Amino acid sequence: MAEETITFTLPDLGEGLVEATLLDWEVDVGDHIARNAPLVEMETTKSAVVIPSPHDGRVVELHAVPDEVVRVGAPLVTFAVAAADGPRAGIVGTVPEEESRPRRRVRLTPPTE
Amino acid sequence: MPANLTDDLVMRYTDLHPGSPAGAVPVLLLHGFGTNFEMNWKSAGWVQELGNEGLRVLGPDLRGHGGSDKPTDDDAYLPERFSRDFVGLLDELDVDRVDVVGYSMGSRLGWDLALRAPERVRCLVLGGFGPADAFAGTDLNALGEGTTPFDEVFRTVSTLPGNDPAALAACARGQAARPFRPEPVPEGVPFLLAAGSEDALAAGAEELARDRGGSHLEIPGRDHVSAVSSRIFRQAVVDFLVRG
Repeated sequence: MAEETITFTLPDLGEGLVEATLLDWEVDVGDHIARNAPLVEMETTKSAVVIPSPHDGRVVELHAVPDEVVRVGAPLVTFAVAAADGPRAGIVGTVPEEESRPRRRVRLTPPTE
Repeated sequence: MPANLTDDLVMRYTDLHPGSPAGAVPVLLLHGFGTNFEMNWKSAGWVQELGNEGLRVLGPDLRGHGGSDKPTDDDAYLPERFSRDFVGLLDELDVDRVDVVGYSMGSRLGWDLALRAPERVRCLVLGGFGPADAFAGTDLNALGEGTTPFDEVFRTVSTLPGNDPAALAACARGQAARPFRPEPVPEGVPFLLAAGSEDALAAGAEELARDRGGSHLEIPGRDHVSAVSSRIFRQAVVDFLVRG
C-alpha cells in the first residue's frame, strides 16, 4: 500500500501560549498509533496536557525530546500514513471532539437540618 | 440549624459513558483548586484512559470553579459543603457507589467524602496530595502576594479564563478552616496516594500511606502541575481501580 509522510506541528494550545515543554512521548519510532490515541504529554506554564494523535499511522520521526521547549508551529512528529486516493482535503491536525453527552446542570438543594 | 441558602447552587458536571455495564462502578473525578474538570482531567488524557476501560466518568466542576456557581463567602467552601454536593450529585444520578479520584484539593475533598459517606465510596485515589498544611506560611487575607507554594498556585490560577479570584480566595479560606487530619481513616475504603517526586505540595504522602494502610506511587521527575498528565499515574490508577 502506498504511504505518504505527514509532519504534525505543535498546535496552538490557546490562551496566547507560544511554546510548551515536552514531558514525555507516549510512542516510539516505529510504533503504529491509532488516530486519537495518546501521542505526547506537554506542559505549558499553566497545565499539563495529553495531545492525541491526529492520524492513524506509523511513527517515522520524533522531532523533540523530553524537557525540550517546543514552539507552536514547530515540527513535533512525522507519521507515515496510507496514501489517500485522489486529492486530499487540506485539513490536517484537528481532532474532532469525542462523543459525549452535553454537560448538564443540576440544582442541588440540601436537606433541611 | 438554619438552612444556608448559599447551598442552593448550580453545579455543572459531565457524565460520560452512562450506559457502561451494570455492576461497573463509575469514577468520580474531583479536580484541584483553581482548575475545572476539562482542564484537570479531560485535557490531561484521563477521560480517554478511563473510557478505554469502559468506565462511566462523572466530572463535576466544583463549586467556585468552572461552570458552577461561585459564591464568595468563606463558609460556602468548607469541605463538608463539597461532600454534600457530591452526595447530592450521586443521588440525582441514582448512583450508589463510586471510585473517587481526586487531585490536590480534590483529593482532600475525596477523603472528606469517604469519611462522611463511606458507603458511597468503593475506593479512593489521592493525587498530588500530602498531609502537610498546604497553606503553611500563607497570608489568607493577601493570597497570591507572598512567596509560599500556595501563593504561587493562587497567582497562576487567578489569571485563568473564567476564574473569579474573590471566589477562589473564599475557597482557600474555607479549606484552610478545616485542616486535614490523618485520623480517622475512611473505614473500609482502600486508598492510593500518588504524587510527583518533585511535588512540594504533596510532601509526606509516602509516610501517610505507610502509616494509614494505603498504597503509594511516586511519579519520577514530576511536580504538582506536570504529574497530572503522567502516563505512569494514569495507568497506575486504572490498575488500582480495575484490577485491584
